[in-house]
Amino acid sequence: MTSVTTSPVRRRHLDADRVFGAAVVGITGLLLVVFVLVPLWAILKTSFVTPQGIGLGNFVLYFTSARFLGIVGNTFQVGISVTVTTLVLAYGFAYAMQRSCMPGKSVLRLVALLPIFSPSLVQALGLQFLLGRNGLVNRTFGTEIDIYGFWGIFIADVVYAFPHAFLILTTALAVADARIYESAKSLGAGPWRIFRTVTLPGTRYGLASAGFVVFTIVITDFGNPVVIGGNYSVLAVEIYNQVSGQANFSMGAVIGVVLLLPAALAVMGEKWIARRQFASVTSQSVPLVPKPRFGRDMVWLAYSIVIAAAILSLVAIVVYASFVRLWPYNLSLTLRHYGFDVQNGIEPLWTSIEVALVTALLAIVFVIGAAYANHSFPSRAGRFVYFLAILPAAVPGMVLGLGYILAFNTPGQPVYWIYDTILIIAVCNVYHYHAQGFLLATTNLKQISPTFDEASSTLGATKLTTVWRITLPLIWPTILGVGVFFFMRAMVTLSAVIFLITPSTQLAAVSVLYLDDRGALNQAAAFAVCIMATVIGFLLLAQLALRLSGVRGVSLVR
Amino acid sequence: MYLSLRDVTKRFADVVAVDHVDLDLTEGEFVCFLGPSGCGKTTLLRVIAGLEELDEGRILLEGRDLADLPARKRNFGVVFQSYSLFPNLTVARNVAYGLECRKWDRARIDARVGEMLDIVHLRGDAGKHPHELSGGMQQRVALARALAPEPSVLLLDEPLSALDAKVRESLRGEIRDLQKRLGITTIMVTHDQDEAMEMADRIVVMNSGRIEQVGSAEDLYWEPATRFVGQFIGRLNIIEDPALRDRLGAGGGASVLAIRPEHVSVGPDGMFEGTVRKLAFLGNTMRLDVETSGQNMEIEIHGRREPLTVGDTIRFALPENRVRRLAASPA
Repeated sequence: MTSVTTSPVRRRHLDADRVFGAAVVGITGLLLVVFVLVPLWAILKTSFVTPQGIGLGNFVLYFTSARFLGIVGNTFQVGISVTVTTLVLAYGFAYAMQRSCMPGKSVLRLVALLPIFSPSLVQALGLQFLLGRNGLVNRTFGTEIDIYGFWGIFIADVVYAFPHAFLILTTALAVADARIYESAKSLGAGPWRIFRTVTLPGTRYGLASAGFVVFTIVITDFGNPVVIGGNYSVLAVEIYNQVSGQANFSMGAVIGVVLLLPAALAVMGEKWIARRQFASVTSQSVPLVPKPRFGRDMVWLAYSIVIAAAILSLVAIVVYASFVRLWPYNLSLTLRHYGFDVQNGIEPLWTSIEVALVTALLAIVFVIGAAYANHSFPSRAGRFVYFLAILPAAVPGMVLGLGYILAFNTPGQPVYWIYDTILIIAVCNVYHYHAQGFLLATTNLKQISPTFDEASSTLGATKLTTVWRITLPLIWPTILGVGVFFFMRAMVTLSAVIFLITPSTQLAAVSVLYLDDRGALNQAAAFAVCIMATVIGFLLLAQLALRLSGVRGVSLVR
Repeated sequence: MYLSLRDVTKRFADVVAVDHVDLDLTEGEFVCFLGPSGCGKTTLLRVIAGLEELDEGRILLEGRDLADLPARKRNFGVVFQSYSLFPNLTVARNVAYGLECRKWDRARIDARVGEMLDIVHLRGDAGKHPHELSGGMQQRVALARALAPEPSVLLLDEPLSALDAKVRESLRGEIRDLQKRLGITTIMVTHDQDEAMEMADRIVVMNSGRIEQVGSAEDLYWEPATRFVGQFIGRLNIIEDPALRDRLGAGGGASVLAIRPEHVSVGPDGMFEGTVRKLAFLGNTMRLDVETSGQNMEIEIHGRREPLTVGDTIRFALPENRVRRLAASPA
């Protein structure tokens, strides 16, 4: 037998699969560069460019201003207080859901998720109706509660962030090994001790993850503080005032960078903890199934009802207000606010639905495309795609929106043509929520046995054939899930798109803001109700589609 | 030679999974890659299939180098360990898949699918989905799917190891019959020596990425080339005790002295003496663990004899023509 030595580097032939792989990685990568990296670069550049040249001048200017430092302080005050409170409340709620046998779980869960279906300013709007100067409480009891300011933002953002924390913590509490609990009990540990030594450590990753998520969305939330913040200013509102009000792009960019830092740290912290998470549940684990215990279950039911009632009251009062003639002076019921005879009428709602549909379609193609590229073509370029794909998790919506303006609103730019179209809004939404959609799709792709790919290729199929005939049919519930996720976010998002709307592309969520701003509270409420109804209606349709095709166990709300 | 491997090497990071393997297969032959887990047998099969790129060496099919052919262009049929049927397609569509990729016309595909399902006795299940079938049926569909496009080589990656013992047994025969009938060159990976001995024309015993020995089941059993092969195929006593080695005339040499348990002859005129430490009655065989001057000796006795108990002292002989001198590792 002759021994043949060949060079380790083989000639790369032009093969259909290689071309396909290069195309998928190339296209998704290029889009990520253009729509994530370029806008971020534009912000950084603007923040460092001063009339005297490149330098830290802008930062020095603002960080020596007492007002600016006050705003930074406010932002952190809100961020930290809301995060701690939300974690405690949501942990209890998720615990009641997963570890008790209280009745009414599905209804309570639905109520807890309500804030996800509406723009972030709806909580503040509800709070105005409830606790505002002319709110239900002050009018009924003759009190003079002033909700505008820190407490208004605090309450509104706790409600806004609640479902996000709840979803993560529910997942964390869902997995538990009954054997550990049984051994703890047999060793004589009481409930409190078991909670401290077993439950809490078992969910610390979920807690940290929820903490980072809540902190990020709170410090970058724009809707609630702008409506109910009064004179209490936070960075997200300041960036809007500076850019939209005074066209002060350099200060906007500085705030953008300042907002980028804690968000980026939070995201990095989450990844850091994720790496330190050991699998606590193995294939031999026995799932923990709570046993009914009347007393305990009733306590948790009472707790959950209080929480759900608080959330529901903010939503319900908005719905109610949308039907009364003139809040709070004339409370007779009417449908006249649904006539939308002010401003642009109902038009923005249709624009929003159009944007949301385009967002969902683009996301299905490009977000799932990026997940597929990263999953199926491992390479250096693939790792770059991965980095860019999850980078937006650290980029607040407002910062991304501002970046789009700075990067694309310059005539002569290759992509200038998308400015002033609904496309730029849809694209911004796609890349704003890119990380979540990408991780969702990646998780699902990983669950598909690699053997299918291999079996398919040994049978003579190209990668493209495999995707079309095997992969897509297997992951379509997730594709639908990704579509629904992006549709929902596109319908309710305010922060990223606030800079991108033009008179010809008005959006529903922004209309609620404008109507509220000019004091047309009833119309604002009606518009908000329309958004919620659209989102929930779309969700029900998708759920129905899943049910009819016999798919079970797929949750569309994330 | 139909299929030739020349100096085939595959590394993962710093681990050499397949280490300079040379092998030739004649057309229509059934060859098993046998070895413990991690010995590189599956990697070698995957390299042949084109699912892994090789780092060194060549694979030749009728003299043609396959290096630049991706898996989908090699026309090799592959059956995987389990769960490789496309869950979204019916049995018939699974079998038709490779034919559709080859752009056969519809009528021809339908005829071929029917024919293949007849061969594996699953015609009645054509419209079912994989999850409606038992594990054994799924593997028969996988076999039909792999064979439908008339592949030049059939590659089986532990196709039976996920199945129940009973099903495994009957499928062994079925696969072997099918292979003979179609005359298709076949390579099967297995860690089960019974499976390999029952099915293969030739067995390739692998260890740490290298081939230890190639031969028929009988060759390997009677003439193991290395200590590893001897111990992997059947049972083997390695005679390590210096006193025993001395009396067998081996002295302090490097060669490994070994004897199979059934070749130790028990009887009053035996040269050696030992104490029974463990015994197991297995029907046609009695298996004893005997402690003798500093080492353990496994002994098998066939046929009826007077009862033994733990603690008994017995005498036995190590017939010279049965003691093998083995290499410690392949040459």
